Amino acid sequence: MNAVDATEHYETSAHDPAPSLLTVILDTNPHAWALLEQTSRSPLPFSTALANILVFLNAHLACNYANEVAVVASHSHKAAWLYPTASPSARPDPDGDVSMTADGSINGQKDAGRQVNKYRPFRIVEEQVTSNVRQLMDLTSRTDMDNNSSTMMAGALTLALSHINRRTIAWADAHGGGDTSSVSRSGGPDTSTTSLLTRRSTTTAANDGTAEGLQSRILIISVSSATGSAHQYIPLMNGIFACQRLRIPIDVCKLSGDAVFLQQASDATKGIYMSLSEPRGLLQYLMMAFLPDQRSRKHLVLPTRVDVDFRAACFCHRRVVDVGFVCSICLSIFCEPPENGDCLTCGTHLDMGDYGAKPALVARKKKKKKVRANGTGASATPTPTPTPGP
Amino acid sequence: MAAAPSRPFDYLESLPGTVFFKLYQQPSTALAIFRRMLPDLAKCFVMALLYLKDPIPAVDLEIWVKSESLKERDSALSILGRLHILSNTTTADNVRAYMVTNPFAASLRQALTGAEQTQSFGVLSRTSDEGSTSIGSLDEYARRQWEGVLGYMVGTSGLGIQRDANLSKGVKQLLQAGHLVEIRDRRVEITQDGFAFVLQDVGTQVWHILILYVESAEAIGMDSVEVLSFIFLLSSLELGKSYEKRHLTSNQLRTLTDLADFGIVYQSSPEAGQFYPTRLATTLTSDSSALSNPISGTLSGPGGGSNQPGSGFIIIETNYRLYAYTSSPLQISLIALFTTLKYRFPNLVTGKITRQSIRRAIEMGITADQIISYLATHAHPQMRKHNVSRSTSNQTGIPPSVLPPTVVDQIRLWQLERDRVKATAGFLFKDFVSLAEYEAPCRYAEEIGVLIWKSDRKRMFFVTRHEQVAAFLRNRK
Repeated sequence: MNAVDATEHYETSAHDPAPSLLTVILDTNPHAWALLEQTSRSPLPFSTALANILVFLNAHLACNYANEVAVVASHSHKAAWLYPTASPSARPDPDGDVSMTADGSINGQKDAGRQVNKYRPFRIVEEQVTSNVRQLMDLTSRTDMDNNSSTMMAGALTLALSHINRRTIAWADAHGGGDTSSVSRSGGPDTSTTSLLTRRSTTTAANDGTAEGLQSRILIISVSSATGSAHQYIPLMNGIFACQRLRIPIDVCKLSGDAVFLQQASDATKGIYMSLSEPRGLLQYLMMAFLPDQRSRKHLVLPTRVDVDFRAACFCHRRVVDVGFVCSICLSIFCEPPENGDCLTCGTHLDMGDYGAKPALVARKKKKKKVRANGTGASATPTPTPTPGP
Repeated sequence: MAAAPSRPFDYLESLPGTVFFKLYQQPSTALAIFRRMLPDLAKCFVMALLYLKDPIPAVDLEIWVKSESLKERDSALSILGRLHILSNTTTADNVRAYMVTNPFAASLRQALTGAEQTQSFGVLSRTSDEGSTSIGSLDEYARRQWEGVLGYMVGTSGLGIQRDANLSKGVKQLLQAGHLVEIRDRRVEITQDGFAFVLQDVGTQVWHILILYVESAEAIGMDSVEVLSFIFLLSSLELGKSYEKRHLTSNQLRTLTDLADFGIVYQSSPEAGQFYPTRLATTLTSDSSALSNPISGTLSGPGGGSNQPGSGFIIIETNYRLYAYTSSPLQISLIALFTTLKYRFPNLVTGKITRQSIRRAIEMGITADQIISYLATHAHPQMRKHNVSRSTSNQTGIPPSVLPPTVVDQIRLWQLERDRVKATAGFLFKDFVSLAEYEAPCRYAEEIGVLIWKSDRKRMFFVTRHEQVAAFLRNRK
């Protein structure tokens, strides 16, 4: 009579929920962290922040046996993996890929006796992340720092996405959806395209929340200022749209200031955007707002943001603009009319008409219809926008 | 059913609060219980509250959950309460509040940050004798031992299978104590519970055995809490690594020797200085998707050579014919429990699922769900493949079943033919004064999932557990 036992009621299905993969993109720009430490009312040193993040990673790993984490550093001049990293002994396979294992070489036998009170997966993550951060900081030279105060967010996002894609395929191959791999292995070259298509459909379905698959999400911990990322506008937006398509939420935890494109990222992908007013409470913010995975989020009231900054950066000078010019062919955005009226992206000649000329005064007609004087496209048909009467 | 509780959760819940207090002293136990026993939402609650200094007002926690997910919220809170993880307190200004109870919170924090030298997660052996025991050989050892246990139980069902001789006396006694087998006239006979047991998946079986072991530990003079926390410790170890035995207590060493008989841990000899956890141990607190791991693959698969994840060997057609590509006597005798076998070839058995064969199985105490889950777990990759391709074509949102739906339905129907009356132990609430007084607790009972039956006209309802409903009624007064 176990069937009517109350515990049955709590188990939603016979199978346990699918694991989730959390990819953390950590902004490690030394400038920004130094600024945060000096100017902020409640200073948060990088070491403390990193310790908090490590506890958060452990908490994520603790939630499910099969949960995975990945950490990418978005440094001042490059994006680098913090975890998992390629083990030095690993040889690139014929494609030039290096297998990235969680079991690095640094956690060898030498410290096995010391830290015995820690769950081993936790320890491996911590040791790798801390040693890789140290390595990253050691390799950062003065010249790298002088060049820019921005951070390679777009590169880090792309790294994270490719890792997620790889893990999703690997997970689907290992659990039930193993048919796609067998098709591509057994079939000729002509079947490989179809298997790719099915694979894409399974990955999109996997992140749907209803179907079971590896649940992936990205958390960006950002400290750099907003203006820094404008020069990466295009790659960043491409990454964001890829996430949107794959239904991977991008959560953003902003330690100082506000970032235009990251707001758009979390808005487009239905992630969480939080700008911390009290950076010292980072751990509690992480535990409360960012730990729940997609399944739990269905039940929780999430911190939402109504005033999303939807401004874009222009393609010519990377300025963030409120009002700009849009190429009618390729939709590129410019802060000022391009030279000779040729679009910088697609090369189409755009007729600017009499832009900049003073609007001619036209006598009002009886029906009080407005006539737009400075139409942008002269060749275009006059847009029949019905203007409401005053 | 008087048998031992089949799920570890039921067993844990039946323990008194003081046992929990002792159990939660160990970070590994806190971590394992957090990971394995809690639903998603409860995990979120615990993690959100873990690093808070003050208790959080109940109202604040309750509005965190969307209004349409009240049921999930209440069930999460009720599980947390039953496992003594969340306690009701009041804040300074007398508001009802929740907080994570102390030994649990401290231990979980310790598990996450690693504070003191508690050695709660085992001590890795420093001697590097890596060559001696690989993961493959550990799997092989675990498979051999576990199949030996199952073979011992099923071996007497009259199919003339050689019984494995290397089972220790303790194992046999444990199986007897758990009423999985009975000894009649010096012959071992499997019981109804035993039949149900052998058809379960490996993870459930291991838990079943371990809980039997913990229960019997008291009888042979061991502290059940110590044994239980040692089991949780084992589950947090890593496969393929050897661990030191020096730090273990004598009781733990004794447990280790007993568990080695089941294939849950491996030690080259009882005197060896280190031991290896096998996959049976390390997947104890994992999810059931780890079922498709090599161990159940090898455990169920034909020879043990198939290391493909999720490999099975059974094909069922819509006409109820069953083909099983196996030569393992254990698997054949399991299939024979609910199938009329027709032919047997060196690597293949064929048979048919009939009304008689299912009824026979059900009379022995096997349920339809057990048969179905057994068939689904061991379905041939060909069936899975066929099914996945079919399920992608129609996106209905129904989880695709590996087995032909008609067979699954028919097996259930054949069981229902017998089950006309269902008995449930529980508590009846009656004699409510007004309809309003009746409705609120009734709705509450429904939300926390303990309601079985209600009658609005008679103002009565029947629940499986009364503690929370009673507390609810008290709170209203």
